[in-house]
Amino acid sequence: MTRIPLARLSLLASTASIAIPLAMTAPALGQTAAAPQAHAPTVQDPGVRGGARGAGGPLPGLNTEETAFFKATKEIFEEVNTVPDGLGPRFNLDGCAGCHVQPAVGGTSPAVNPQVAVATRLGANNVVPPFVTVDGPVREARFVKKPDGTPDGGVHGLFVISGRSDAPSACRIVQDNFAAAVAANNVIFRIPTPLFGLGLVETVRDSALRASLSAGAGRKSSLGISGRFNVNENDGTITRFGWKAQNKSLLIFSAEAYNVEQGVTNEGFPTEREEDPKCAVTATPEDPTRLVEEEDLGSPAANFSADIVSFAGFMRFLAPPTPATSPATAASAAEVMNASLTAAPPSSSSPARGKMVFDNIGCDACHTPSLKTGKSTFNSLSNKTFSPLSDFALHDMGVGLEDRVSQGGASGREFRTAPLWGLGQRIFFLHDGRTTDLLVAIRQHSSTGSEAKQVIDNFEMLGNGDKQALLNYLRSL
Amino acid sequence: VSLRLAPRRGAVAAVALLAAAIGVVAWLNLGRDADPPPTADPEDGRVVGGRYVSRYFDLVYPLPPGFVEGLAGPAPSETGSYVLANFVPAGELDATILVAALDRFFAPAWFDGAEAMAADFARGLAGIEGMTVDRAPDAMMTGGRRFVRVDFSGVGLYRAMLATDIRCHVVSFTVTARTPERRADLLDSVGHLSSSGVTGPACLKDHAGNDNLLHRVAPAVVGPQFVPIPVRMIVAVDGSVRHAHVIRATAEQRRSVAEAVRQWRFKPHLIDGRAVEVETGVVFRFGPSAPGS
Repeated sequence: MTRIPLARLSLLASTASIAIPLAMTAPALGQTAAAPQAHAPTVQDPGVRGGARGAGGPLPGLNTEETAFFKATKEIFEEVNTVPDGLGPRFNLDGCAGCHVQPAVGGTSPAVNPQVAVATRLGANNVVPPFVTVDGPVREARFVKKPDGTPDGGVHGLFVISGRSDAPSACRIVQDNFAAAVAANNVIFRIPTPLFGLGLVETVRDSALRASLSAGAGRKSSLGISGRFNVNENDGTITRFGWKAQNKSLLIFSAEAYNVEQGVTNEGFPTEREEDPKCAVTATPEDPTRLVEEEDLGSPAANFSADIVSFAGFMRFLAPPTPATSPATAASAAEVMNASLTAAPPSSSSPARGKMVFDNIGCDACHTPSLKTGKSTFNSLSNKTFSPLSDFALHDMGVGLEDRVSQGGASGREFRTAPLWGLGQRIFFLHDGRTTDLLVAIRQHSSTGSEAKQVIDNFEMLGNGDKQALLNYLRSL
Repeated sequence: VSLRLAPRRGAVAAVALLAAAIGVVAWLNLGRDADPPPTADPEDGRVVGGRYVSRYFDLVYPLPPGFVEGLAGPAPSETGSYVLANFVPAGELDATILVAALDRFFAPAWFDGAEAMAADFARGLAGIEGMTVDRAPDAMMTGGRRFVRVDFSGVGLYRAMLATDIRCHVVSFTVTARTPERRADLLDSVGHLSSSGVTGPACLKDHAGNDNLLHRVAPAVVGPQFVPIPVRMIVAVDGSVRHAHVIRATAEQRRSVAEAVRQWRFKPHLIDGRAVEVETGVVFRFGPSAPGS
């Protein structure tokens, strides 16, 4: 395949808007989001935090070979694919790092949605679906039902390669009618999950996850919380990646995403989803293991690896996000808010107080503060204690968040506890990116059938100072 | 209350109270003159005439004044965790009451009743910064039942959990309030619990796991594999399965398991030489090498 670094994308792109997310730094976003509103409510999301990104680097302690592999695989992760590389026939974007980039490569949806630009890149004439906007989240679309009324649940690529200068001229496939799907209430959305620290997540033993979920059963019962794990249908082990914990491993996660999001067939998912012979003209798998060294990326392993192996390797060695350590950074936006609070002195709304609130009202019952990895082939992942703020279990989130799509054992209302590490720099919240307001996201946890209802009631009963402290703490992550 | 009402309003209130009482009685005696009432399950409790009524747990709990039902909770879990009900004020949210149950047959192995749960609960609270255990686990009688009570507070919320053992479940009332006085008032409301005093079946955890089981029919393997399917069953005095409650499963698994279990036959269980009903539980887990496969 042709490996085109994202930095050189402007040579291909009809607009350079995809580069904007990389240029838009977190501090800039933080300043914008933190600006006090006229007639601001008493409690308010302080917005995307400023300060150091604290994300995007390798795990500490990697050896020379591992460091070289990380650097090489990061480059591969940042590449942009063209049709001759395997892009399409249907796709959502043309590179991993377009979606996973906030606040650094490996993150999540950026402030400027690159899907708008890719719709017409290289002469394509895709219509941008109504749920994709330039200032909205990157989204994939899943149809709830097929035309015959049976369950669908699969990802429907937003765009087609028809009309692109790098696509076969005979290719004439057209986009799904997303506007009609919206009108029929037959489409739901997912945004990219952040990838930081996933090697640690992959290395936690099932027994440790089960012990964590079983711990404090009495307290969880008193909060109305239970939870269960999604499991692999082949071997019965816990699956843990994706919004519904539907993916078993980083390799499967990579392979599925490469095919579903970009249309690139690979050794994990070797079949084209759209087999129109006038469009699917490249040999499959489009991403094979390389038997001959095509270029030197500085890592022998990366030189030969299939892209999906490189993606998995990049995620495996990608460090978890670092919370803000400086109160001035963590609460820079929060302090602006505190000035408007009369119910509590500013010091009572500190992130440290917010952590106390988080644990006291029961957020920690699902957003588990601490997990430990098992023994790993890689020392940097072996026997490490880390803080993802997730139990990686499925919980019933009620009718308010229900998306009517089942994956593995997860029902339409069940979602994996979203890890909160790095939340301070996320722009869009919840599985479909429906809000940029953390306060709204918290309140969306409560609806009929939700396990989080009592915890949210506890939140609502707090004084405003403690509510603000919780928001400030979460934005310090 | 009626003393403070004008005569006409008092009469209306009296009629309303009478109607509510009739409603509760009618609900408790559902179909008594015709078919026997369907066997109740833990999640079948309802609010009738201002009272939470659970036939399964034999509980009637009058809601505190001004309280209404909150949003319904999730379905029962794989580990037999239930949100039975929750109550909130009709106006400003300054307090809540959550009624929950944990099935001791399916909860973690260490979980051995209300006392053990309360002890574990208090230990957990002690590890939370800013949380104070105001009252260590302490047995008490209220509403005619033995409860273990833990009071705790932190970040301006005053809470208490009252837990009791019923039919091999731990049933808990968790009160959360903005003031200690409000907490105390709501705890008093639990003292108004009542029950009919009817004794349920003897609950025996491993009754199906030894030679008590004379005839076993395996359920058809359908639906997701490796997922635990907890089932409670009531074994009649003649050893037949009178009732099977598939607590959590897909619809097709629910049908398959219930159909199989109803064909099971047990040795009659004798206490003092007399056959008695038994309630027990089993977990199915479909999979190539899993129990129940």
